[in-house]
Amino acid sequence: MTERPLVETAILLDEESMTGFLAATVPRQAGAVVSFNGIVRDQDHGREVTELEYVAHPTAASVLRETVDRVLATHDAVLTARVAHRTGRLVVGEHAFFVEVAAAHRGQAFAACGELVEDVKRLLPVWKRQVFTDGREEWVNSP
Amino acid sequence: MAQIVVRYFASARAASGVAEEQCEGDTVDDVLAELSTRHGARLTAILEASSLLLNGMRVHDRSMPVPSSAELEVLPPFAGG
Repeated sequence: MTERPLVETAILLDEESMTGFLAATVPRQAGAVVSFNGIVRDQDHGREVTELEYVAHPTAASVLRETVDRVLATHDAVLTARVAHRTGRLVVGEHAFFVEVAAAHRGQAFAACGELVEDVKRLLPVWKRQVFTDGREEWVNSP
Repeated sequence: MAQIVVRYFASARAASGVAEEQCEGDTVDDVLAELSTRHGARLTAILEASSLLLNGMRVHDRSMPVPSSAELEVLPPFAGG
């Protein structure tokens, strides 16, 4: 019988919490550790961003956990999955989104990490507000 | 006609100018039509693109009836990750 994977998900409020989350270690049985880091850039489509904020729906933490559980149900060689997303104001260089998967072998680690990144981006009820140097405010993906 | 609370998030909140408000209608479509009339074209476009939760459950058919004292949440397209 396969052991249940260790899953850790979090919606975090500041950069210090994110860097702490990133720094945590994984179990020794994991030969392959694959991670994705979404980091704030200083521009979006060539326009300079002066302010950036993520806003989360109250269900975001539970949706995050459900999404990760669902992906792992089809990747039974995954040993650990750790996913965190920021909310609040971020500045350039800060960590917005982090996914890390550990498995015994690299095939499932890469596949699960990729699927987690795509599914969280698609399903997490989080919104992103940007302000540009001309003062214009935009909610990404919204009319 | 049901009296309900509408709760806005993100761009919907920016377009309506409020976090929440009262509204009434027999169906979700009725409520959305009233909100469009109140707040104009920008909110109308956002309502069209948004997903809706009625008492926490996803709305798949906007012609569905609205129960009294319900809570309707407007969730614009997500942009996380």
